[in-house]
Formats: sequence, structure tokens, C-alpha cells
Amino acid sequence: MIYDVAVIGGGPAGLAAAIEAHKKGAKVILIEREARLGGILKQCIHDGFGLVRFGKKLSGPEYAEIFIDEFRKENIEALTLTFVTKIQKTDGGFDISVVNRSGAQTLRSKTLILATGCRERTAKQVSIHGTRPSGVFTAGTAQHFTNLLGELPVKKCVILGSGDIGLIMARRLTLEGAKVLGVYEAKPTPSGLTRNIHQCLHDYGIPLYLSHTVTRVFGTDRLTAVEISKVDEKMQPIDGTQETVECDGLILSVGLIPENELAESLGVQLDPKTKGPVCDGSLMTSVEGVFSCGNALHVNDLVDYVSESGEQAGRAAAEYSLKKRSIVPVKAGGNLLYIVPQSIDLESDNSETVVYFRSREELNSCKLIIKSGEKIIAEKKYPFLRPPEMERLTVDFSRDKLDGSSPITAEIEVNGK
Amino acid sequence: MNIKSLRKKLNKDFGGRFSVEEKDGVRTVSGESADWNEIVSVCSAAADKKHGLHVVNDIRFTGAPVPEMRLPEIRDKSLEGAKPDVMIIGGGISGASIARELTKNKLDILLVDKESDLAMQASGRNDGEVHPGIDLSKGSLKHKYIIKGNRMFDKICAELDVPFKRCGQYVCFDQKIFKPLVRIYVWKRKHIDGIDDSVLISGEELKRREPNFNKDFCYAIYNPMAGCVCPYGLTIAYGENAVMNGAKISLNTAVTGMEVKDGKIISVETNRGTVYPKIVINAAGVFAEDIAKMAGDRFYSIHPRRGTNSILDKKAGSLMSSIASIKKLELSHSHTKGGGLLNTVHGNILAGPDAVETYEKENFATNRESINTVFAKQRGTAPDLTERDIITYFTGVRAPNFEEDFVIEKGRKTANLIHCACIQSPGLTTAPAVALDIEKMAVEMLGGETAVKKNPDYNPIRKGVPVLREMSESERAEMIKKNPDYGEIVCRCEEISKGEITDALNSPLCVPTVDGIKKRLRPGMGRCQGGFCSPLVTKIIAEHQGIPVSQVRKSGSESVISYGKTKGGELE
Amino acid sequence: MSKLVCIVCPRGCTMEVTENNGEYEVTGNFCKRGRDFAVAEQTMPMRTICSTVATAFKEAPVLPVRVSADIPKDKIFDVMQEINKVVVKERIGRGDIVIENVLGLGVDVIATASILKEAAE
Repeated sequence: MIYDVAVIGGGPAGLAAAIEAHKKGAKVILIEREARLGGILKQCIHDGFGLVRFGKKLSGPEYAEIFIDEFRKENIEALTLTFVTKIQKTDGGFDISVVNRSGAQTLRSKTLILATGCRERTAKQVSIHGTRPSGVFTAGTAQHFTNLLGELPVKKCVILGSGDIGLIMARRLTLEGAKVLGVYEAKPTPSGLTRNIHQCLHDYGIPLYLSHTVTRVFGTDRLTAVEISKVDEKMQPIDGTQETVECDGLILSVGLIPENELAESLGVQLDPKTKGPVCDGSLMTSVEGVFSCGNALHVNDLVDYVSESGEQAGRAAAEYSLKKRSIVPVKAGGNLLYIVPQSIDLESDNSETVVYFRSREELNSCKLIIKSGEKIIAEKKYPFLRPPEMERLTVDFSRDKLDGSSPITAEIEVNGK
Repeated sequence: MNIKSLRKKLNKDFGGRFSVEEKDGVRTVSGESADWNEIVSVCSAAADKKHGLHVVNDIRFTGAPVPEMRLPEIRDKSLEGAKPDVMIIGGGISGASIARELTKNKLDILLVDKESDLAMQASGRNDGEVHPGIDLSKGSLKHKYIIKGNRMFDKICAELDVPFKRCGQYVCFDQKIFKPLVRIYVWKRKHIDGIDDSVLISGEELKRREPNFNKDFCYAIYNPMAGCVCPYGLTIAYGENAVMNGAKISLNTAVTGMEVKDGKIISVETNRGTVYPKIVINAAGVFAEDIAKMAGDRFYSIHPRRGTNSILDKKAGSLMSSIASIKKLELSHSHTKGGGLLNTVHGNILAGPDAVETYEKENFATNRESINTVFAKQRGTAPDLTERDIITYFTGVRAPNFEEDFVIEKGRKTANLIHCACIQSPGLTTAPAVALDIEKMAVEMLGGETAVKKNPDYNPIRKGVPVLREMSESERAEMIKKNPDYGEIVCRCEEISKGEITDALNSPLCVPTVDGIKKRLRPGMGRCQGGFCSPLVTKIIAEHQGIPVSQVRKSGSESVISYGKTKGGELE
Repeated sequence: MSKLVCIVCPRGCTMEVTENNGEYEVTGNFCKRGRDFAVAEQTMPMRTICSTVATAFKEAPVLPVRVSADIPKDKIFDVMQEINKVVVKERIGRGDIVIENVLGLGVDVIATASILKEAAE
């Protein structure tokens, strides 16, 4: 049995990819390491999902179950509680070694969609020093304890990082009876969506301290206090500004890293900025037949776009046939933090290519311009751009617009500069 | 230096603030200082290795309050009235290996450690290098045991089912002009000191073997017998084998006092009752001096020395495959090599440790400066080394005396006591050999081979928890058929199954804490640092032990993970 | 005049509200929902709650729930108290009512996941 498409990961990206590939007539298998489909949405019980896609404010499980129900209705094959140990490229596709409670086996598929999501940065990765007590959790771990196990991991805590999960957890923990003393952010601007600052912090009287970070933890068994320091423009702690805050919990929301260990094992080239694979307009990576989507591709702030990229990858994988690509890179220039896709394949139909990007910093009245050589392919004005808020637009990269000989460039112009 | 010259020197250097007395081979230094480093200098100056003189530090440190030894919370009578033949104090590599070797005999053995697991201090907080002994000179106990210990590792690790690799060590030089000197040094090691594996290799050869090293290295000393092992893995394996063979290990058990009469320990007081051992073995690490004092046999002093290591992501593991350090020939008084790089048995690169004198025996907190110091130095060896690959870091505290050598001997004033003290690097390497000698001493003390019978059921073989990620697909499938839990992956970074975790919980020395499982199997040691698996591991422990999640601990008794159910609704 | 940030959608418009004899003038909003939100913030701020309730099932010790419509902001912790009392003993699914007309507010607390049904399969 050789599958047309094997989807690794049963979160929102993987579910959308599997459903779309299946609808396009491909023989699909989805492999999920957890017992239940839905990925991280299972523990994101707060609302706000699906506004773009469904025009409704759904909770994470509600959003996921729309896809799970469809996945089941379509009778798509899935292996849950199944872990991929190794993938090898073969002549006809990929050999995927998996283990689960019924054994260890190797599956074969012509194409691969990596929908492996992301993981959280840890305390040590943001250079927090001191002892190693219990009570230091990443926001996602605290969310797992609170929302899936119904356990209260902290009673009086400090949150480091104003990423969305951190803000959401500030509200969740407050509702569940914990005291959140404050949210500390090393950057001079918040990392999460503005509305989350309001509905998760302001509504509950939780202070937000910008340009502050946690530099040290105290306590031998359980956390007893943290040391907070002000930071300079380079986000380095300023000596002499240390202050100690007594608490029993430290929740970290200090960034997400796309999980691409499987991709790397296949030799997939990664973009150092997104930490996800370098893709073309159909979300195919640098390795033929390997597609990437969702948070493994780049960290999204809205699940709606995660599903969208899953669908794109699913469609492209189902329609994949071995043909030579002719790749033109898309260079992210001034003011752009990153742009996805990072390249365009001239041999594909690129008339409705979905482009995602983030600005490097907060910008007002600006314009995204995409050019091929000197020719403008697309431009769009924005009243403001903020790094925490990813932007999406559809661009016509069809052949007649492109001049294969010159590179494609994308940049943000501010006030005509 | 004789005592007269020493007194003169101390008077000159420190203005008569310190005095020193010499009696029975021990120099006792007294005085007062607010500067810990000064105290270390004074006592180190008093050490006289050549004449085997020990230093006892009686200088009052006024700079800061010295923290008391941390004690476990638990108080019970589980050991009350126990009368073991041998009581070992300390469950580090020394205590655990001694316990195991002693179980070859028909003896009632009790090992106590105040922590919640074995190898919680120095033995669990080092880089795991199995040293080749390149820097040791003849005449020291370190030297006496290094070759024998090093060569025992293949057999011991095979018996105890502990991963071990002889990856070799390079001491790299970038100063061309010193090559003749280094050549003489290597010759001396081989022919005078008996460290016979060292060879000098060229810069080109080094480049071929370790292409990512500093291009300026023009030659290196290569020690093929150097290796590495997981230090806490080996300690726990020794402990488990000891338990299998009848030893009793009581964790969370601290020695708080002793009754000594006529040069003999009558009883040992613990937080879990009073024990009446025939003999006591002091393997208490940084607290060995305190134990010696309780036993009325204090003739050495420990000056704790802190060191921090960083662990890098396995992805950075391709940077190097051996153990390496950079060596500059200059007048240096530092007591360790100042750290190096080592590719562990698990494929992570370890960078460090540094060496900082401290009066705090149990301060394992890390700080930024240590990491910066280590990386600044180690980039000299591997220029591509980057802090960005750090997944975690840890600090250990070594237990050296001022003589900078082990104390392995019977009590001087107390008859039923054996010291296995002042063990610092290369104490992990020497442990297997030292344990054999201590076993002999203990048997002798208990009346020799006529009084102590051999243990007919002694089994040197310990099987660890099967490591499924290292098996072939068919082997793995076979294991899963027997126990489907082996097919359920809990830790994704290190690929550890529920079955393996349950095995560890059912092992001879069950430590049902998140860190206990982590040390045995590695869930939580990968790049996500337990972000994904720690709730799952916590839940598996709770279910296995039949306790609520709120009673599962990370490590020590107060290291609560959850404060309880979020919901008031209770089931009837 | 007061300034506020809209929380209706991720756009997060910064708005200004001015009151003139009971009439509200809203600026800065991108859509009508923003205007409605801004006015409600002046009269009776409404919020949603998402939480969990305890269950009698080991494989899913808690079940995610939310209120079926927004409730007055000042009733959040009162409703939480009600939510915390519940233990679900039936294998109910997504959309099923956990607490009907909670505190007489005219909204229900409903389950947002079908995990209990899934586990029974």
C-alpha cells in the first residue's frame, strides 16, 4: 500500500491538509502522536478562533472539532497515538517509520506534509539563572495542567513574556483562582494581540511591565521568588535595577519555535528567520514532495491561517507530480521581518498565491511592495503594521508577471520612503 | 614547606592574622577573615602534599552566614534500632559503588542519603568524563587509582548496563614553540607516571579527526583511553545493583549526629531514627568533613568549588565527537583544566565547567558569568560553538580538601570508621577501583574473611530499562507485542515510551518523582525541556503510585507541581 | 470622551467614544461590531467566560465549557463559582448544556468539546 499523501501531525494544519488532499482525490493517511486529534487546540479552551474563517468566535476545541467531524465524515485514514521515529526518502517517495501500541512499522507515501506545529522556548533559552525549583512552567505546560488535567499549577505567579498564550493564561489562571502579579515583557512593545492585552490583562487588573525581564529564580524545592530587572534597548538587564518579587510560579511565554526536526532529517532547507522550511508558492519545501504548513512553516497568530496553509499544502500534495521546478527566490527586504513563501516556482500556477508576512517593527501608514526586477507585481497600503500581527494577502505571481531572470523582492515602504 | 617557614610566610603575606599548629600530621589553621578566597589561600599555602600533611581549616569566616546543611522534611522512625554491619553515609558515586562491592559479602548494608535520589550533588552534576589521568603525578591517591579505575569501565558498564564510550581526549595547543616541551611532558607521563596511552599528534591529524576545531591548533596530546559515561546513570545503576544484592538504600535520610565512645561510633542519629552500625563509611561528599567531625575524626577540611556546565542541543552534536580542551602554557594556579568540551554518551555537547571557590556547599544556582566564561574559553577550541544551542545548564559543587587529593583510609582516632572523602575530579573515574579497596578495608575491619562470608547469591549483572529508540524495528515490534505501553511515546524529544517510564517506576530503586524519572530515562532532557512531557510524566507517576497529581513532586519533598484540582466539585 | 481598544476581532481597533445626552459617538472603529462594543463598554460591559467543569471520567477529568452568550462583566466571578460546583456525570458533547440559565442571566453554560463521547467510543 502506497499512500499519495502522508500528513504528519493532527492539529489544525494537518487536519485541513488531510481533508483537502482527500477531497482532491488523494489516498491520504494522517499520523498523530497524541491520542486525540486537534493538536494544541485541545487545550486552547478560550474563544476567539475562527473569526476569519467562520465569522464566529469559537473556542479551540470547537474550532478543532469542526475539522475533526469532517475528517471523520470523509473517512480519512488516521493513526493516532502514533509516533514517527524516522523518515527516509526513497525513489518513489518516503518510508515513514512509526511506532504505536500495536507495534513498529514502516508506511510508504509519495508525498509528505509536515504539519508538526511548534514548541515553546524555555527558561534556559532566555537565559534565566538561579536554582531549579518546581513552579517554572512554559505557558503551554501550565495550560495543559489547567485545561486538560484540571490541576492548578500556581497560586501566585509572575508571567514572563506578553505573547498571546501568556496573556490568555493570565486570564485563565485568574479565573481558576490564582493570583497573577504581573506580566513582564523584555521588549518595549507587547508581543501579543492588542485585544488580548485588554481582555486578558486590563479586564482583570493585571499590570503589564514593558522593558522588564526575569533574570533569576529562587527556591530550592518550589519557586519562592523571582528577580526582575529592567532591560536596555538591546534587551540586556540593567545592573542595579533588580527587584525581587515573591511568588510560587513563573509562567513563560517567550516565543514559539517551529518543530522541524523531521524536516531537517530529510535535508529540508530552513529559513533562519521563520525557523520553518523555505517553501515555494505551493508550500513545497526544498526537498521534492515534502510540503510544510501551519506553525511548522512559520508561527501564526491566527488558527484560521494555519488551516488555510494546511489546505494549500494538501491541495498541492494531492496534485503533486514529479516535474522540474524553476525556482525564483523572494527576497525579503527593508522593514520586513519575513515573508512566506520564500520562493516562487515558475512552472506552477501562481495566479493566486497566498503571501504571509510580518513587519520588523511597528510601522504606520506604510505599503508592501512586491517587485520582479523593476516591475511591480503587487502593492498594498496598510494604516499600520505590528510584528505580533501577521498579514496575509493574495498575490498574482502568474508567469506573465514574472521575469525569471531577475529576482523577486518584497519590501515595506514607509510614507513613500 | 616546614612549619617555621610557613608561619613566616603567613605572617608576611597576611600580617599575622592567621596562626597554624601542627600535630599528628595535621596542620590546623586559625584566625578570622571576611574574605573566603583569602581563607582558601591561607589553607592552601599550609598544605604539604610531599609530607602527607593534612590541613584543618579553623579560620572563622565572618563575611557571610554559612548556610546549614539542608535537611529533608520527613521525620519518622523507619530506621530506628537498625543494626547494619556497614552504614554508608552518602549516595554519590562513591557510596553507591562501595555499597555494590560490599554486597559481594554476606553483610547487612545500609546506605543513607539526605536527598530524594542518588547522585543529587557532585555525582549528578559533572560532565561524566572518564579521565585518562594525563594531569596526575605519581604519589597522589588520584594517580594511584586513575589507571585501574579507567580500565575497569568497560567491564563495570557492561555489568551494570550503562552506556559508556571511549571517545578519546585531545589537549590542544596553539603555541608552536612549546612543542618540544610538550613532547618531553608526554614522555614523562608515559615513562615516569605510567600514563601510557598519551600520544602527540600533529595539527593536520587533529584537523582530520575534528575538522571543526580551531584552525590554529598545531599539535595535540591525544589520550585514546579517555571516555565518558552518564555520571548519575552509573551511580543509580550501582545503587540498583546493590539493592538487588540485598543492600538497603534509605533516601531522604540525613545524619544529624553520632554517639562516639572510646574512639568508636556507637550510634548514628538520623531524621528517620537512630542506627547502630558496626562500621561507618563516610562518603558524604561536601559534608564529609562534618561527618568526620561528628565521628571525632576530623583531620581534613573541604573547600567547596563550584562549576557550571552548559548542555547543547543534540543538533550541535556534529561539532565534535570527542573530549577536548585548549591548553596554554603559562603559570597557572587554577585547580582544574578550566573546563572543556565533551560529546556525551547521549550525543549532546557539554561545555564547562568553570571553577569558583565558595563557602556555600549546596548553592547550585547558575549565573550568567559562568556561562560567559566557559563559552569565551571554549570558542578557542571550537570557534563555531554558540550559546544559541544551549538547552540547559547546571552547577555542581566539588568537594576538594586543601591538599587537593583524596582521603581514602581508616579512621585515625575512630576505630570503626572509613573515610572516602575529598573526592573531586577524577573521582568518577577512580570510583570503581576505590570501591574495591574500601570493600577490602571494611571486610578487614569486620574481622576479615573468616568473620565475613561471601554472598552466594551475588549477581553483578544489572539490567537497565530497555532503550527502545536504539532498537531495530523488528526488536521494537517484539517488545511492543509484549507490552503495548512500549509503543506509546510520552517524551517526543528523547523518544521515551510509557512502558519505559513504568519500568523505571518498578525498578529496584524507585524514585517516583519527575526528576527521578528524568535522571533514569531522560524525558525532559531534550530540546523542549519537558514542556510537552512533564504533565504526562506527572500523570503516569500519579497513576502508578495511586496518588493525586498534587502529591507528585518534581524532586524534593516540597517541590510541589500542582496545588490541586481547579474545580471544587468533588466526586462522591 | 474615553479611549478603548476593541476586543471583538484580532484587528483590535483603537476607538474613541463621546457621550452627548445619552447618544454615543464612536470613532476609530473599522466595523459596526466595534461601535456596538464601544457603546456597550459605556453602558454595560459584556464578556464571555471560557473555563472547564469537573467530570466523573478519569480519561478527561475536566470538560471545557463556555457561556452561550456574553454576560455582564461584573458577573464573571459569580458565574465562575457556579461553574466550579458542577461535576458532569453523563457523556455529554459539544453544545450540550451544563448549567441552564446560569444565575438567571438568560445564558447557559455549554460544553465546547465532545471528548467524553470520543473517549466512550
